[in-house]
Amino acid sequence: MKKQLLNEIIEKKEKKIEFAIITNLENGESCVFEKNKPISKNFEKHKEKINFQFEKKKNGIIEGTNIFVETYIRPIKVIIVGAVHIAQYLVNFAKSLNFEISIIDPRGYFASKKRFPDIKIINKWPKEAFAEIKTDQNTALIALTHDPKIDDPALQHALKNNFFYIGALGSKKTHANRCSRLKEAGFNDGQINKIFGPIGIKLGGRSAPEIALSIIAQLVSEVYNK
Amino acid sequence: MKNSFDEKILEEAKDWLEAKRNVVLATVIQTWGSSPRPIGSRMIINDKGDFSGSVSGGCVETAVVRECLGLFKEKKPFKKIEFKVSNESAWEVGLACGGEIAIFLEQIN
Repeated sequence: MKKQLLNEIIEKKEKKIEFAIITNLENGESCVFEKNKPISKNFEKHKEKINFQFEKKKNGIIEGTNIFVETYIRPIKVIIVGAVHIAQYLVNFAKSLNFEISIIDPRGYFASKKRFPDIKIINKWPKEAFAEIKTDQNTALIALTHDPKIDDPALQHALKNNFFYIGALGSKKTHANRCSRLKEAGFNDGQINKIFGPIGIKLGGRSAPEIALSIIAQLVSEVYNK
Repeated sequence: MKNSFDEKILEEAKDWLEAKRNVVLATVIQTWGSSPRPIGSRMIINDKGDFSGSVSGGCVETAVVRECLGLFKEKKPFKKIEFKVSNESAWEVGLACGGEIAIFLEQIN
């Protein structure tokens, strides 16, 4: 692999561009493949097969050829509402798992650069914040404030936009109240049941890092469930 | 739903290159049976014998490092290697899980 290609790959990863690395195992040649972009001459012959493999987002050698394809897909976007203690641990787990993270919290003393270095922080109420972030079915919401004023609008946005994972912190009682508020706001049971509440898998721990671990474990398990 | 659970191996390779080391990139390109790491798993090795990342659960990494040091010595740009349970040196580097893997080694230059 050429050094130049390595740099190109790293740059594309940072820009969250979807691409593949294609390698000819016979002669060691490799290059980047992007959808709807011209393909290197040396791989032209297998263009259709490479494209097919890319669409499937599958890594491997294309049958009947000597071409190895490795796809890089966009990481899942995780939006944390509430720059609380648990969020500080969540951010660390989410980083090692390559999730793309943003934090929303209108409370400036929580959502500070000092508490969350290198993280995108949006110091606004959820409604205004979501106007700035592009969200889709590849987005996850982790609501941590258990304050209806902050969590509820975010949960409503996530339900309306069909986020792939929605979780909310709070006891069973807090969650039951939350569900009835959402019902009053016009959401049906099918939608409301999509929310993981109380959030996280049952680990038993009550400390901030343990709760963060239980949340991130649930999120990863949902990545593979869907 | 899929996410790219990236291990930042390529970024580390870049750091090594900037530190003027020779680097080989090892990628799992094929697996059969119950291999511990999926296709696309990566490991990097430098000319000092340092390595980072993994291509198995610790079963064949030492052998991969040895192969890579050979590549540096012979100045070979790339090589494909395979590990099976029936390898002669199975007691040392075979895959205890009973799987088989093929790994592509390539120098970054």
